[in-house]
Amino acid sequence: MSARSTRSDAVVDGLLDWEIEIFVHVPSSHVAPVIQGLEAGGVRGVLANREEEGVGIAGGLALAGRRVALVIQDNGFGNALTALTTFAKAYHVGLPIVANTRGGLGEYNAMIHNFSEAVPDLLRAAGIRAERLGPGQSAALWRRTTQAVAELAVMTHRPVALLMDVMHPATAEDLA
Amino acid sequence: MKRLEALQVIDDVYAEDPLVMTCGAASRELASLGRRDSHLYLLDSMGLAGPVGLGLALAGVGPVAAVEGDGSLLMGLSMVASIAYHRPEGLALVVLDNREHASAARIPTQATAVDVAALCRGAGLDTAEVSEPDDLRAVLTDLRTDGRLGAVVARIEGGNATGVPFLLEDPAALAIRFTAFLEERHDSALRA
Repeated sequence: MSARSTRSDAVVDGLLDWEIEIFVHVPSSHVAPVIQGLEAGGVRGVLANREEEGVGIAGGLALAGRRVALVIQDNGFGNALTALTTFAKAYHVGLPIVANTRGGLGEYNAMIHNFSEAVPDLLRAAGIRAERLGPGQSAALWRRTTQAVAELAVMTHRPVALLMDVMHPATAEDLA
Repeated sequence: MKRLEALQVIDDVYAEDPLVMTCGAASRELASLGRRDSHLYLLDSMGLAGPVGLGLALAGVGPVAAVEGDGSLLMGLSMVASIAYHRPEGLALVVLDNREHASAARIPTQATAVDVAALCRGAGLDTAEVSEPDDLRAVLTDLRTDGRLGAVVARIEGGNATGVPFLLEDPAALAIRFTAFLEERHDSALRA
């Protein structure tokens, strides 16, 4: 499930357009193309074990002035909410978060929707802005939106999430 | 040694270096010794001082000290593996080990039965154990001077210092002063 897709490539290109220097990630199968694409693009990846730990590591890099993004799967927001709110949001850390979504159309896991369907509402309740990308948007729009999300996070000094639906059957048709 | 004595040593050795301080009473006690822009006081985010310190060290702004308690280390124990895996130069992970949640009715932590120094050592971190202020000062001074990665587990007494005021400043203001310090010292470019 780590095949490259045009839209995952577009997210990578968007981050490269932003001139990302380093990224912190917690791997998952559907976000692996972004991780691999960034590393293939010469961007250093920092492996974390849990998403809240990733928020801390990426936050330290951001405070030190590095162009850094956190790359995770959306069920990791459950692990990360306290760190995102009491650290990244409270300390005004401009941190773009790229997360693939689960539990929607095209899902094959009978459990994960129980968390992932609630992620947009959870982020809204926590005061964390989220932008969403799905199959109805072109790869070009995915690329430009990704760059804009990263710019917005840094400009507004807060975490901003980019939720990308790479499992929708219409998105999956782009799988190479 | 009391936690305030340990914090005085850490504050002395890392006076002009980035230091990330774990949450709650420990952060307030460090601030009570004199606020420094070089120090990032976490007011909550238990278990995040180590990861934030790791990020700072990976950014190359070392030497960096990250101070956790035994309880906060155990809450975010994966930080030990991440620090050992990425091995940034100049990061000192300091664990103030009182074997209790001092701010939570002094309920014992699992460190009463689990050797946190052995956990650090088992992950591959060069780990020192100290119980006296002079020994803590010597170990930290060596780590800082040599720019080495290492862990220091400092055995301290339980309980919180009395009469220490709350740290009620907006965290955003704390972060702004900290990043201004980093920018001035390391010519950081992002906010330009």
